[in-house]
Amino acid sequence: MNYFPDEVIEHVFHFVNSNKDRNSISLVCKLWYRIERFSRSSVLVGNCYAISPERVIARFPCLKSLFLKGKPHFADFNLVPEDWGGYVYPWIKCLEKNRSKLEELRLKRMIVTDDSLELIAKSFSNFKSLVLVSCERFTTDGLAAIAANCRYLRELDLQENEIEDHRGQWLNCFSECCTSLVALNFACLKGDINLAALERLVARSPNLKSLKLNRTVPVETLHRILVQAPQLVDIGVGSFVCDPESETFFKLTALLQKRQSVRSLSGFFEMTLYSVPAIYPVFPNLISLNLSYAPAFPGEELIKILQLCRKLQKLWVLNCIGDKGLKIVAHSCKELQELRVFPSGDGDGNATVTEEGLVAISSGCPKLNSLLYFCEQMTNAALITVARNCPNFIRFRLCILDPTKPDATTLKPLDEGFGAIVQACKGLRRLSISGRLTDQVFQYIGMHAKNLEMLSVAFAGDSDKGMLHVLNGCEKLNKLEIWNCPYGDGALLNNVRKYETMRSLWMSSCNVSMGGCRMLAKSMPQLNVEVINEYGFLNRDGDDGQLVDKLFVYRTLVGPRMDAPDFVWTL
Amino acid sequence: MSSKKKVITLRSSDGEIFEVEEAVALEWLTIKPLVESGCTDAIPLPQVTGNILAKVIEYCKKHIGASESEDRKILYELESWDADFIKVDQGTLFDLIRAADYLTIKTLFEFTCQTVADTIKHKTIEEVRHIFRESNDFTPEEEKEIRGKSWWLQGL
Repeated sequence: MNYFPDEVIEHVFHFVNSNKDRNSISLVCKLWYRIERFSRSSVLVGNCYAISPERVIARFPCLKSLFLKGKPHFADFNLVPEDWGGYVYPWIKCLEKNRSKLEELRLKRMIVTDDSLELIAKSFSNFKSLVLVSCERFTTDGLAAIAANCRYLRELDLQENEIEDHRGQWLNCFSECCTSLVALNFACLKGDINLAALERLVARSPNLKSLKLNRTVPVETLHRILVQAPQLVDIGVGSFVCDPESETFFKLTALLQKRQSVRSLSGFFEMTLYSVPAIYPVFPNLISLNLSYAPAFPGEELIKILQLCRKLQKLWVLNCIGDKGLKIVAHSCKELQELRVFPSGDGDGNATVTEEGLVAISSGCPKLNSLLYFCEQMTNAALITVARNCPNFIRFRLCILDPTKPDATTLKPLDEGFGAIVQACKGLRRLSISGRLTDQVFQYIGMHAKNLEMLSVAFAGDSDKGMLHVLNGCEKLNKLEIWNCPYGDGALLNNVRKYETMRSLWMSSCNVSMGGCRMLAKSMPQLNVEVINEYGFLNRDGDDGQLVDKLFVYRTLVGPRMDAPDFVWTL
Repeated sequence: MSSKKKVITLRSSDGEIFEVEEAVALEWLTIKPLVESGCTDAIPLPQVTGNILAKVIEYCKKHIGASESEDRKILYELESWDADFIKVDQGTLFDLIRAADYLTIKTLFEFTCQTVADTIKHKTIEEVRHIFRESNDFTPEEEKEIRGKSWWLQGL
């Protein structure tokens, strides 16, 4: 039906941004497929080996914004060998060859060399945004190339990357005519920064809204930056070593009294005990607070500031906050939606959170929908209460530090507790479970978690049945990652068609054999079945009975990858 | 109020006559040259019916000047007025888009396109087809092939 001219349809599509809706649109009819293809500017590729860059560009020639993911998620727990892969260079090269007008690139867990960054800087004249999350292999030289050449750069966001710091003057390389910066985050850089260059850059960036400094930037510089950039709303503080008798302390306090606009605060890599009061005025307006990099944040001060944070929606802290601190959060932060409690890793006996803190949060913060909780212990009763108090969880990740610990009161498995969570939280999309767990918990998950997209499991279950409950029950499951569970070939091979509907399956330290992996590869040619022979124990042509320590299975359109290292075998 | 504003006469496809202030008509880029040339006859708009033209005029009268306001209260009030204005059936909404496109009224065009886009969100392919009265012209083989080539676009 030609009710509308093509341009009108295209304009309507312009307002449809989610990938899912875009995918639906493209299947309505041939005309819509064509219009959608030429109007889609933003593409997310969840696995860089699922498709080739050539095919992405052939389908979406007007691509401007690309989000690519590389290594499997378990790389965050050091389970994926360093040289596994995930190279971005071939993508950049292909985009360059096709004269793409790339403006935004967001990469997660990929290998990004300086060559890649230099090629970006050279090839895309209107490049605006580079976001690198948990990437590796590049140095500050590559950043210098971006700074020097991308004169319309709006965003340079470096999160959790392993960067080799050449202590070069990369910040100095920003061109004098680069005045477009909106967000700059170099908090993960270890080395010294040219402070004068930083201040000059801030001074010529009138639109700078978000600035996250690294640990080498002292509080005096922060003060001067705040004077220059009253428009900042998102601040990552570097070092906060400040004498409360000092001039800087008084000036900062006076300045922040007048600043009502700051909404987000992070950083504080280093602290002195009595410096926090200088920033008291900021907390009542904060929406987001990330103290996960602030091991030295004084406990008493933490309690004080949390009482001030009445508008907080997102809070990331270390577990040294304790149950006591979480109870304060529950009392003050009624708007809280996302809570992450990370392990502080200092082995300090009193630094810990338990079921008590979580129960308090769930009863005080009814809007909570996203949780990551590294805790000392948990109970079924607590989880049942949490499920009742907060049925809106979308992400629920619970990591008990001893991953096989049972219910701390009854010593029973935590099956019933997690069962209550999946039963109550109908919208749950991501779940990580830990503690002592039997097959029963997987039966609950398979039965109730109908919207679950990603499940992470470690040290759980008693038999193949556990994994099968999940594969057969969770219709929307996209990613399944399993570590140290007793699942063998029976679980792997029972429902192989399921992997056709999923992005990937990771199994390490389970009971799958070489024969099982071979069988899977043979029956499902559209999957890449990668055996990772990291320690060289396996014989590629050896017998079927060999146990495979690490297995990564993913759906792909382009067959085995060419860049696999010697220890990765695609069967 | 006392100064007399210049009025432009418009005639809809079904012969209805409307009068609008010149300032409103000047926002309609398609007829802008005619208005500027000082045309005094009724301007025929053969692609827009009277009831749709009435809605279009209502929207533009409300928006003239107000969209650019920086007064939060005015903008908030305008937003809720818009929300009421657009509570119309699918057919009317589509006709409004066509009228806004034909008359080149940017604000109304953007607003109506956005509204239609919102109705597509979170819908199945079948539902979208139904809303737009589009029929599936893919053969089952073609559809299967496209689906087979598109799964990598899904998920987080």
